Amino acid sequence: MKQSMIINGKTHEIDVDGDMPLLWFLRDRLEFTGTKFGCGSGLCGACTVHVDGQAIRSCITPVNTLVDKTITTIEGLSENGDHPLQKAWLNNNVPQCGYCQAGQIMNAASLLAVNTAPSEQEIDTAMQGNICRCGTYQRIKKAITEAAHTMYKEV
Amino acid sequence: MSISNVSRRNFLKTAGITTGGLVLGVALPVNALAEKGIMKASGSSLNAFIHLAENGDTTLYCGRCEMGQGISTALPSVVADEMEADWQRVTVKQGDADEKFGPQATGGSASIRVMYQPMREAGATAKAMLIAAAAKVWKTSADNCFAQAHFVINKTNQQKLGFGELASIAANMPVPEKPVLKKKSDFNYIGTKLPRHDQNEVVVGKRVYGVDTKLPGLKYAAIVHCPVLGGSLKSLDKTDALKVKGVTDVVEISRFDVPFGSIGGVAVVADNSWTAQQAVKKLKIEWNLGENAVYDTKEYKQQLVANVEKPATLAAERGDIDKAFKAAKHKISATYTGGHLSHAPMEPNASVVWVQKDSCEVWASTQSPVDIQKVLGQYLKREPKEIIVHVAMAGGAFGRKYKCDYVHEAAVISEQTGVPIQLIWSREEDMRTGYYHSINAQYIEASMDDKGNVTGWLHRAAFPSIATLFNPSLVRAPEQNLGDITNHLFGVENFRTESGDAKAHTRIGWYRAVYAIFYGFSFGTFADELANKAGKDSLTFVNQLFDNNKNEKQQAQIQRAKKALATVADKSGYHNRGTLPKGQGIGLAVHYSFQSFVAMAVHVEVKGEDIKVLNVDCAIDCGQVLNLDGATAQMEGAVVMGMSLALSTEITFREGAVVNSNFHNYPVMRITDMPNVRVHITDSDEKPTGLGEPGVAPFAPALSNAVFAASGKRYRDLPFKPLAV
Ligand code: FES
Ligand code: FES
Repeated sequence: MKQSMIINGKTHEIDVDGDMPLLWFLRDRLEFTGTKFGCGSGLCGACTVHVDGQAIRSCITPVNTLVDKTITTIEGLSENGDHPLQKAWLNNNVPQCGYCQAGQIMNAASLLAVNTAPSEQEIDTAMQGNICRCGTYQRIKKAITEAAHTMYKEV
Repeated sequence: MSISNVSRRNFLKTAGITTGGLVLGVALPVNALAEKGIMKASGSSLNAFIHLAENGDTTLYCGRCEMGQGISTALPSVVADEMEADWQRVTVKQGDADEKFGPQATGGSASIRVMYQPMREAGATAKAMLIAAAAKVWKTSADNCFAQAHFVINKTNQQKLGFGELASIAANMPVPEKPVLKKKSDFNYIGTKLPRHDQNEVVVGKRVYGVDTKLPGLKYAAIVHCPVLGGSLKSLDKTDALKVKGVTDVVEISRFDVPFGSIGGVAVVADNSWTAQQAVKKLKIEWNLGENAVYDTKEYKQQLVANVEKPATLAAERGDIDKAFKAAKHKISATYTGGHLSHAPMEPNASVVWVQKDSCEVWASTQSPVDIQKVLGQYLKREPKEIIVHVAMAGGAFGRKYKCDYVHEAAVISEQTGVPIQLIWSREEDMRTGYYHSINAQYIEASMDDKGNVTGWLHRAAFPSIATLFNPSLVRAPEQNLGDITNHLFGVENFRTESGDAKAHTRIGWYRAVYAIFYGFSFGTFADELANKAGKDSLTFVNQLFDNNKNEKQQAQIQRAKKALATVADKSGYHNRGTLPKGQGIGLAVHYSFQSFVAMAVHVEVKGEDIKVLNVDCAIDCGQVLNLDGATAQMEGAVVMGMSLALSTEITFREGAVVNSNFHNYPVMRITDMPNVRVHITDSDEKPTGLGEPGVAPFAPALSNAVFAASGKRYRDLPFKPLAV
């Protein structure tokens, strides 16, 4: 039986070395380039994706640990780019170069899935693994708070 | 005239511009860039194009490189405003490297400064021609028509014709000699808040960066560099690396001794980046390290300090400083230092290059496609224009991607393997093989009279300069590198600058804000130290220093600097600082760089060794602002970068090699440290000036001054809290 994982709703056979981190399976094998390489060591968060809804660093997660798991990347976070976080990101003009932002959004989505109204402190703690060298942190905080609001306060 | 009608010209196709409709060519003032040393002067030719297609879509082709600073949003908005176009229908396309696009190097915060006026004129020209076209159709006078939101409207009968419908007719209208520019009060877009044009793509992961290029048959490479500048390969055992499944080649890359050429290394080629990275670790390499193996930044910094604390080589002088020092009521001196910095953009160096027998194509995140053409041309012994460079969006750059050593390496690998190669540097290689901001020492000695007037100022600076890239034999920074000290706006009659010895042992390069980082730090901090000595508050003292400047030519600048400083003092609560809780303080600093004026007020809380930045007020006067939101974002980003370099980031060398390797030992700022930043932008009619860089300089001195106010402890060395690595 071939091993596989589900990425953004589609089943993909794992046809690479089992030690290969998910990041490179995504980028080089499947050519999903939305997930970014920043450090390769779990230090920057640029490569963040969801495994069964939880944020992980794909650069240090080998594919053989992900058999039959459900992966969501930035490309699959929402149908039409309309996740409340994506909307809040646009509304606050968060991105500068934008390179870190896929990781930021995926990490924030994982936070908001379990915390409906994160405090500033909780945002800090959850997001501290995601570096933005352009310095968009202030707007990231604002956008997360705003998205939490639209997700949980409005019906 | 700088605008020409080129709708019928053939060369546009070769430059990848679709024709049909109206095409205007713009001649940018290349000399303005040459003067900044950004590129060599060449004959003025057309180097930006505006294409209005018959369906109304408007495209601006230009060579400025986007790296997150928002240039590809700001420029179209200027064109659209003057043209009365709907800005949503104006896009910017980055021209591939081609002489036609003229100055393509993006650096020195110069894009807007150079392109603002020509872009306005081009937009106004297009508008005039569209109006003339409509007047012809309606057989009426141009005065009877006006343009609005992508239409020309007939004043008498309210008839409308769309820009697209008029494009081809306009192409036959004469180009107005002097297009009339709009009044500021009539601007639709300039000076407003505009969203970045490519944001929608960013948030869904569709924005394509240099690192994302894919080609059929692409192979992936990873590299390890010679750890010491000037070293070379002694022995290489590639057996184990070649055994790794998926590895196809190991390629030796010799040092290419031209500016921006490779430092030398060994690369592995494989089916994917990860395999290549794994195999690189299996290479057994010995290096001849060469003479720079002695480089140790701790010792070197001490040497720089020694070199500035004794007489050095005269750079510039006015008045009689010795006399001033003798007559002084107070004399004080201080030495400031700073370490090397690595740009560390989130996207490491990456490119795709395909060298074939009679072609060479490059896809790269780059700030300077023309340098890629030059270096690859030299290496492959081909004409620069034969190198085709596709400019990709850069995931941050900050000066690093001006230098194309990483592209050169991909070219070597592709040349030797015959396939298209994507070379991505690991973070470790990116950090260890940089073009670093200069390590430096600044010594300032000043005299004051009994009223707190500064009567003499001696400033010695020692740092390996960027000029060493081009002339490695330089033993100290050339005198023009000290020009910013000599031309400083503080008014001091007797003044001397000296350049201390500082030979380069690594590659030095532009880093966001460049020398303004250490000049801003030393001036801003020393002014506060002087104020303290004179028993005055910093704001009053600095204003007095400015007021003592009687140079007619600098009066307008001084007023702008003072105003920025006054703004942050007001906004930050500086005037009520006496009521702050114990352990808190507010520090001020103002600096002029890249022709813009930025002041900061930093509000800190100090607990023991802990420095917590609470609020930052930042005022910028950069002339007419194009995009208010973009400008605000640049200042927020500058605060973050300023904070990283003030508190924590430093590249350390030992035995010639960089010790830092990744973000755990090069701790850039994270969200947990983010203060509340408030940006105050001066409403100004002056011509637009630099925005990307000038915000970095005033942070560190304002922070030093704030910590002093809060705790009495004075930090004179950047970063304040170096990590032991
Ligand atoms: S690339 Fe995975 S954490 Fe940095
Ligand atoms: S937006 Fe550039 S790194 Fe975050």
